Amino acid sequence: MANSVLSDTAAWDTAAELRGVTKCFSQRQNTQNVLKNLFHPTYRTVTALDQVDLCIRRGEFVAYAGPNGAGKSTTFKLLCGMLSPNRGTLRTLGLDPVRQRIALMKQLGILFGNRSELWWDHPVCTSFEWKKQVWDIPEEVYQRQLHLACEMLDLKPFWNTFARELSLGQRMRADLGLLLLHDPALILLDEPTLGLDVLAKRQMIDTLKTLNRDFGATILVTSHDLDDLTEMAQRLVMLAQGSIVFDGAPDGLRAIAGDSRTLTLTCADPAPQVPGATLSHSEGERHTYLFDHQALSTSNLLQAIGQLPQVTDVELGRAPIEQVIAGLYQKWKQPAAPGDPK
Amino acid sequence: MAGNWKALFRLWGVYARLDLHWLTQDTKYCVLTIFSDLLSNLSSVLGVFLLAVRFGGVGGLSADEVLFMLGFYNIVSGLFNLFFLGNNVGNISRRIGRGQLDHMLIQPLPLTVQLLSEGFLPFSGSGVLLGGIAVTVIAAVRLSLPFSLPWLGLLLLMAFSALFIWVGLAYLVSVSAFYHPAGSEEISSVAIDALATLGGYPLGGLSGWLQALLVVVFPAGCLAWLPAMILLGRSPFGAAALLPLLALFICGIAAVLFQKGMKHYGKFGSQRYRSMGHRS
Repeated sequence: MANSVLSDTAAWDTAAELRGVTKCFSQRQNTQNVLKNLFHPTYRTVTALDQVDLCIRRGEFVAYAGPNGAGKSTTFKLLCGMLSPNRGTLRTLGLDPVRQRIALMKQLGILFGNRSELWWDHPVCTSFEWKKQVWDIPEEVYQRQLHLACEMLDLKPFWNTFARELSLGQRMRADLGLLLLHDPALILLDEPTLGLDVLAKRQMIDTLKTLNRDFGATILVTSHDLDDLTEMAQRLVMLAQGSIVFDGAPDGLRAIAGDSRTLTLTCADPAPQVPGATLSHSEGERHTYLFDHQALSTSNLLQAIGQLPQVTDVELGRAPIEQVIAGLYQKWKQPAAPGDPK
Repeated sequence: MAGNWKALFRLWGVYARLDLHWLTQDTKYCVLTIFSDLLSNLSSVLGVFLLAVRFGGVGGLSADEVLFMLGFYNIVSGLFNLFFLGNNVGNISRRIGRGQLDHMLIQPLPLTVQLLSEGFLPFSGSGVLLGGIAVTVIAAVRLSLPFSLPWLGLLLLMAFSALFIWVGLAYLVSVSAFYHPAGSEEISSVAIDALATLGGYPLGGLSGWLQALLVVVFPAGCLAWLPAMILLGRSPFGAAALLPLLALFICGIAAVLFQKGMKHYGKFGSQRYRSMGHRS
């Protein structure tokens, strides 16, 4: 971190910047041999991030995606100074996250989906008062942000309820409201929609979009739900095995993955063979297939289905982005051939 | 530096309000807490005091001197409860072992300010201190001890030195939780309880080397026995300097090792995170 002097010009319009950042962890490997575990334990080095370069401009809404263990949370922890990198340099809002943690935390908001900053045995309102004092938030900013949080997240119905008695959706709303109180310039959200029902998730997504669009907040968000991410963000950064494998607009991902589509047939018989399409799964009388739209046109497909008299209904659609990504992750797990684009 | 002091006083105010709200959330709860505090106070003093009365003193101290020592012990443990009992601040190995230091790292405050403020419980945690003051005053009156300013200053110095020896030792052993989080999660409470168990006994009857061991190596004797001997004028005057020096030494070592532990935390991260409330 001593050499983490990035250009000053970048500080103004760059919210976060990682240059050649590598972060490794060691994992203890215990065997059935008790004596070996006791006196000569072995460790395995896991590279969570491998020479990652990433720049996030102010005002961007970036989705950060990847399978479990890809290094998403590690990136967040590095950006807020909880961890220090093994190699490389990084800056968050122009500051060194480890050395300038206190100054950074006045401008940064971070929320981990499985953690809460609310005071468990106190009403929600108490946590907000607590944060005002701990962050030393000026009264004017506090009132403005509190009004904003209450309006967008509808906090009033459970304002005086003990945090321990909130539903998961209410807790996430309260936590997000709490995060907004000091008007952070950069918001890091790790799995904010984790475990939320459809309605709560919708509200969370709408709030984040409003924060970015109307208030210019820079947001970096992770989620396992790629459909949510692609709906929210203008830019998608994908990690696999500690490296960035895709960085661009969500539509660009489909271009890499091909134009995969779904075909769902309803018929009483077992799933029929459809030339050019592969059966993905069946649920009762509904059978879903995947096909590449560039290789098989819709007219040719419908012509083929017309030869199947037992079919009573036909549905066509785009393949869910998760299915597309799953295929890509499998591909990325293979060693890359020289010259393969990332 | 001035900013940190300002923040510390501001935060004591916040945590005092939180504590008051917590204590007064429910009438039954409030009454039960105060009643159980009274019982706990009485029982912490009565055991050793009744022994002293029955045998006309213990370990070279008269019954009233034992009472004074027990009052002083309750002042020290009361100060511990007042400043460090809340939110696992005294039991810091729990926060380290459970990977919950992250909650502190996202606050725009130095860790020291957070650790000195977050455990403040002036309402629910002051029962033992008030009881300790009452017992000490009663014993001091019975012993005709001088209530002069220098004597009271010495009493405060001894009390805060004993407090920081206690806290410093808890933090010193808690450092192991950075390296072995699962095994050391409860190590601070083991250290705190071990000192508390031995801290309320007069050590006068023990051999010299055992006394030295219990003052310097495992400083249970510094919580009440040695300070009481100094305040009663039963120890050489130089002994009064030992306690603050020992407190500084233990806290200094703990601070250095804790910082090393924090570096380890930053390098290797937390091996585990337990989502159960990080303040309970």
